[in-house]
Amino acid sequence: MDTVEILMKSLIIGAFVGFGIGAGAARMFHAPNVQGMGAFRTFGELNACEGDPIAHFSFGLGFLFNSWASIVGAGAFTQDVAHRIIPHWAASVLLWRNRNLAETLQDPRKMALVGSLIGMFLIAIMNSTAVAIPASLQLIATKVLVPAANWLINPIMPIVFWMAALDAGKRTGVWGTVLGGLAHMVMSNAVPGIVLGILIGKGVDDSGWNHITRILVVAVVLLFVLSGFFREFDIRMLKEFQMAVPDGLMQIHQIFKAGVN
Amino acid sequence: MESQEEQVNLNSFWYAEWAFPLFTAMLSAGIFAGTHMYYVYHVGAFNEIAIVAMLEVGIKGGSYGAAAAFGASFLFARILEGPLVGILDIGGSLLTGVGIGIPALLLGMGVAAPLESFPLALATGGVIGVIIGTIIVLIRKYTITASNSTFGADIMMGAGNAAGRYLGPLIIISAAMASIPVGIGSTIGAAIFYAWKKPIAGGAILGAMVLGAFFPILTK
Repeated sequence: MDTVEILMKSLIIGAFVGFGIGAGAARMFHAPNVQGMGAFRTFGELNACEGDPIAHFSFGLGFLFNSWASIVGAGAFTQDVAHRIIPHWAASVLLWRNRNLAETLQDPRKMALVGSLIGMFLIAIMNSTAVAIPASLQLIATKVLVPAANWLINPIMPIVFWMAALDAGKRTGVWGTVLGGLAHMVMSNAVPGIVLGILIGKGVDDSGWNHITRILVVAVVLLFVLSGFFREFDIRMLKEFQMAVPDGLMQIHQIFKAGVN
Repeated sequence: MESQEEQVNLNSFWYAEWAFPLFTAMLSAGIFAGTHMYYVYHVGAFNEIAIVAMLEVGIKGGSYGAAAAFGASFLFARILEGPLVGILDIGGSLLTGVGIGIPALLLGMGVAAPLESFPLALATGGVIGVIIGTIIVLIRKYTITASNSTFGADIMMGAGNAAGRYLGPLIIISAAMASIPVGIGSTIGAAIFYAWKKPIAGGAILGAMVLGAFFPILTK
């Protein structure tokens, strides 16, 4: 019986995924002192709901229709399940009973446990239903929420982080601006670059150029070089400066994407 | 009083550094098993249709090269970035790296067992997750946490909070551009929520969906 098997497996998968996402999302609120996991956009969107359970619920709901249509149509959940629906609904359930953010959304234990339950519920239902979602509601998500979320990610978040870096002192301003601009070209969003700029700038402000801040800079340079290489920034740059791309360079890239056409 | 409430014991299990590999292991196990579901039942992969399609090319008999290179390079960059900024991006690292890149690498080498068997898929994902989590914690140990600086955490938190406030108006603008009924619904919803002292984003979405259900957006 495929259906029963899918249901059972989905429950297990949902529990695992929900647990990790819940704990990771709550830990994001304690970064960088605690290592979190999720995404900057998830972090921004969780903050955007300002601890209101209805806002969290409807934000997740908005993306649910699109994900559901995608799973029914193509068997793919879309990343929204992990980035948006599970964390927002877990937050919504917790905030329903208690409006204190520190005791709910920012508590990894509660978020992990509730996330686990939400994950089981969501993954099981979504995987085992083939019920079509009303097309009009799918369209709302793609036509309304997706552009709004995209604007939030670019350019709103880069600008807000940029302003914060500029206001935090000369060193963070300079590092944030340089790395932010570079990141927007290399990684297609400035936020990681600006965050790294704040990290380096504040690190040096607080403790000077010691081995930790130096390792940081080396790691950041490495990150940019490798990200650039894998995203073929070097080839794009040469082309856009109207220079010929050396055959050797093309061949090196070819090795890393053997079989891509 | 408030500061006492906000004090969390950073050494307890849920905040501990060593617990991080466990969380990545759980999540990776689930994601990898999700790819198993896709491989066997063609349902349940945790990624965008376009990215899953790259894996599908391989499953259908083509090359796994694209999926492997795409997934692996994302995984690599995010593992390096995660410990530095304090937030591991699960989209690039786990959903794409572990969910698409590593399965494509394995299948490309002719190793199909971890994707055919559910228990083996969970175990493989779990082990990969532990390795990723451990690498991240080790990088942190030698950089961020070895210092007494907060590296501007307060600045980033402030910016994160500030950026979030933009979402409500953005949704209304987007709804207004989508269609007039949806725009009206979104505007009224947001206004009601504001009057109720609730964040306007929720009202904007609900209003857009209610009106959108009655007056669907016209597509060309």
